[in-house]
Amino acid sequence: MKNTLKNPAVYLMFVLPTVILYGLFFLYPMFSSVFYAFTDWDGLNPAKFIGFDNFTKAFSDDQFHVAIWNNMSFLLFSVILQVPVIIVFALLISNVKKFQGFYKTTVFIPSILSTSVIGILWGFIYDPDIGPIAAFLKFFGVEPIYWLAESKWAMKAILITNAWQWVGFYIILILAAILAIPRDIDEAAAIDGATAPQRAWYLTLPLIKPIISVVVMLSIAGAMRVVDVVLVMTNGGPAGTTEVMGSIMVNKAIKYGEYGYGMSLAIIIFAFALVLTAIYQLTFGRTERIEY
Amino acid sequence: MKKNLKVALTLLVAMSTVLAACGKNNNASSPEASPNESSSATGSESPGESSNIEPFTVSLRHIQIGEPQKFRKAILDDVVKKTEGEIPGLKFELDGIEDAVNRFTKLPAEMAAGNPPKIFDMFGGNADALKYAKAGRLLDLTPILDELGIKDKFLNVFSQFTLDGKIYGLPIGGNMEGVFYNTEIFSANGLNAPTTWDDLIKAADSLKAKGITPFATGSQAGWVPNMLVNTLIGRNVAANYPNGLTDGTLKWNSPEFVAAYATYGDWVKKGYFTKGELGKTYDDMLNEFAAGKAAMIFDGSWRSSAFKAGAVAANLEGKVGFIALPAIPDYKGDQTSINANYGNGYGFSSDLNDNELKAVTAFIKNLYNDEMQLRGLLEDGVLPSMKLSDEALANVTDPLVKQVMETMSKASSSFVHFDSVVQKAVNSETELQLQKLIANKATAQQVGDAIQKVQDSENAKK
Repeated sequence: MKNTLKNPAVYLMFVLPTVILYGLFFLYPMFSSVFYAFTDWDGLNPAKFIGFDNFTKAFSDDQFHVAIWNNMSFLLFSVILQVPVIIVFALLISNVKKFQGFYKTTVFIPSILSTSVIGILWGFIYDPDIGPIAAFLKFFGVEPIYWLAESKWAMKAILITNAWQWVGFYIILILAAILAIPRDIDEAAAIDGATAPQRAWYLTLPLIKPIISVVVMLSIAGAMRVVDVVLVMTNGGPAGTTEVMGSIMVNKAIKYGEYGYGMSLAIIIFAFALVLTAIYQLTFGRTERIEY
Repeated sequence: MKKNLKVALTLLVAMSTVLAACGKNNNASSPEASPNESSSATGSESPGESSNIEPFTVSLRHIQIGEPQKFRKAILDDVVKKTEGEIPGLKFELDGIEDAVNRFTKLPAEMAAGNPPKIFDMFGGNADALKYAKAGRLLDLTPILDELGIKDKFLNVFSQFTLDGKIYGLPIGGNMEGVFYNTEIFSANGLNAPTTWDDLIKAADSLKAKGITPFATGSQAGWVPNMLVNTLIGRNVAANYPNGLTDGTLKWNSPEFVAAYATYGDWVKKGYFTKGELGKTYDDMLNEFAAGKAAMIFDGSWRSSAFKAGAVAANLEGKVGFIALPAIPDYKGDQTSINANYGNGYGFSSDLNDNELKAVTAFIKNLYNDEMQLRGLLEDGVLPSMKLSDEALANVTDPLVKQVMETMSKASSSFVHFDSVVQKAVNSETELQLQKLIANKATAQQVGDAIQKVQDSENAKK
């Protein structure tokens, strides 16, 4: 046995299957997509190298500009509006004494639903003829709003739906961090006369800063790769106003067979996500380890 | 040394397991694949030979899923059953997929990977059949048609499936696009049937004033409003439409095209279409019409099967009329021409063995014949792609199907839909730009200019 473990081939035997699978299903597709991003491959005919044409095409396409801006709205919406709401709700739930389990379950439910289900559910909520929002507005004599059919509302409607889907998941993350803080710190502050808002602001928030940082990171990455909710609810419409980078990539590559162009869009999305998360990590995202 | 050998052997076993797991399953023709089917299929034929017959499967992709397609599915099922009975050992593997998913997602991906089903639903034209044919993925059907002697039985329907004189697909039927109108709503409001442009506009205006949507439309998918745009353009362009688009003799931003887009935009502004149409689907459009909230739809003749007993809009049975879009004043093309397509049918993989080729030949023989063509017409309202005798045609009793056939025979000429001629990128641009026109974010001229820009760059590629 001792001698066996000294034999490098034994280690190779254990490592090799994983390396092969990793290479086959991760490295190879990734590098081949980088290769195809510089070609005009349409899936049928041999790929021809065309340099940076796909990238210049993407950045000179008005529709792609709209998509970049829409991805940024996802990002800004989640970081500026969603994160504070998440923290407030997590603080509220952490302080309730009764039915805490009920609240936890309720806020978490949307994130276990499939996006298709959510798309249909909110499609009904937004329906201008039979939806509850239209009925509510009608009660006050307001004309129904065509949420998903009007350019000025469609993006906002999607942002709200997306937020509704993911807020609960992040609340649970932050809630777990809050509940992990030793009770005595909080009690000591209370005895010293700190009010509840003071304790939340000066004590709880700094202690959960690392997890808030994780939530913001996940939000940034999520905002860059969002696509399913758009495809399900509007498919980029009306008239391309809700198109995101991911949906353009899917449609160009899969629907129109421009695989080369689709690959270059995938790389652009990857680059955006990489740069933004790196910037965040190097600036606001820096957190120190906290010892209680 | 012995240990090293042991290690090497173990490694070899591990590797071969991994590789075996990655391998492709080619066991479809193994004897145990489907013993029951083979015995039942061959039992009636010649019991003595059954022991030598190897069962085999042929994959068949169709789009006959869901309630509206049930008549077409029944026809396909009968053809499958008959063919399985004729070819010993044959078992079809049916794979039903939604139309757009098959056309735009699944089939292109399979074509790219080189493993399409053996038989599959396919559209004609540059963006579909001809593209696959050029890449060598499709079976040349000319020898099979000659062998079966049915080539001359087809109408003039192969233009979108022919490359270098070879036929690569068989259209199952045809359709035209026109106006379905609710006769009850028209008579209740004292309106004439919309057979002239004046009557159509008058009807639309007065229906609008009464709170009834003149045209139900679901423009979430751009191809739906594109149907009307295609007919408007076809009526305003004197010749060579739509083929002239790809060779540069016709331009999207020429006055004829822009005028057609302007007419559409004008109708949007006047409120002739469903409010919020950009959020409505093709199904919503039928539902709105079926519910009596809208008086007309501009749709393909295939919709006629929705308005009969047992179908999705059965409540409108006998209350729907069909006409071609009336002659448009000041338009420059042939005003009795119609849009007619023989665009959808079956294609076959070029990668077939002898058994599969036999199965494909039998499938073609059983699907493309007078009986099945007539059934398609009677049960499903699909216009035949093959010549039917007058006696056979006399069997048509559905008044709506009769109207469709009359409308078609009255037309002086016809043009196909541009989506079967222009490149995919151009078609997707027409959808996007039309939606911009509907959303009032672009003028007709801007729409034409934007599409022509894509058309130019696509034309330059070849």
